[in-house]
Amino acid sequence: MSQPGSTKQSVHIDPYEKNWMRISIILLIIFGTAVTVAGFALGFQVPSPEERVDPNNLTGPWLNPGLRELSPGVYEVYIIANATTWQFDPPAVEVPVGSTVTFYVTSRDIQHGFKLQDTNINMQIVPGQVSKLTYTFDEVGEYPYICTEYCGIGHAAMFGTFTVVEK
Amino acid sequence: MADEQRPEEQPEEFRPRGTVAILVMFVLAIIILWASVYVILLSRGVTV
Repeated sequence: MSQPGSTKQSVHIDPYEKNWMRISIILLIIFGTAVTVAGFALGFQVPSPEERVDPNNLTGPWLNPGLRELSPGVYEVYIIANATTWQFDPPAVEVPVGSTVTFYVTSRDIQHGFKLQDTNINMQIVPGQVSKLTYTFDEVGEYPYICTEYCGIGHAAMFGTFTVVEK
Repeated sequence: MADEQRPEEQPEEFRPRGTVAILVMFVLAIIILWASVYVILLSRGVTV
């Protein structure tokens, strides 16, 4: 109920500004829908922190990092990023084409990045935390993995090679 | 001296054509760049 004596006020918005707001909202809806479809309908996932570990006392599978075959065509690989030598351990991994590989990556010291070229695997590697992503390799080739977070003077030389070979 | 009578002045319509052209280019650039990244994401396959 309006108060006596009150006047109705409206904000003037220029038609150009109105159209700009409409376009912006439409774009946000389109982008939001596309991201939602990719995430929920197509199944694209971002890396998740799998578990906590003590970076000064890595145990279990971290004592012997590398590739393990869980069943035919299904692998897991444990990779440790190291800023004292600026290397990934192991520096090279090889799997047959068609393999589904789960990557577990952690850091022994400081923050690193883990990007597997030409794939959607791109993770932030935080000491004390294990990052995990699974990917199926359908094409033969070399996929370098590189550190994407500046981690010191040897950062530019911090890389490894993931090779997918014929069966 | 009689006042000179002037015709009523119409306010000039504001048409910022240059600004609109720049904004259209900006929107198109955003759409094209965003769409290209989205297509690359889809083409590289699913990460679980």
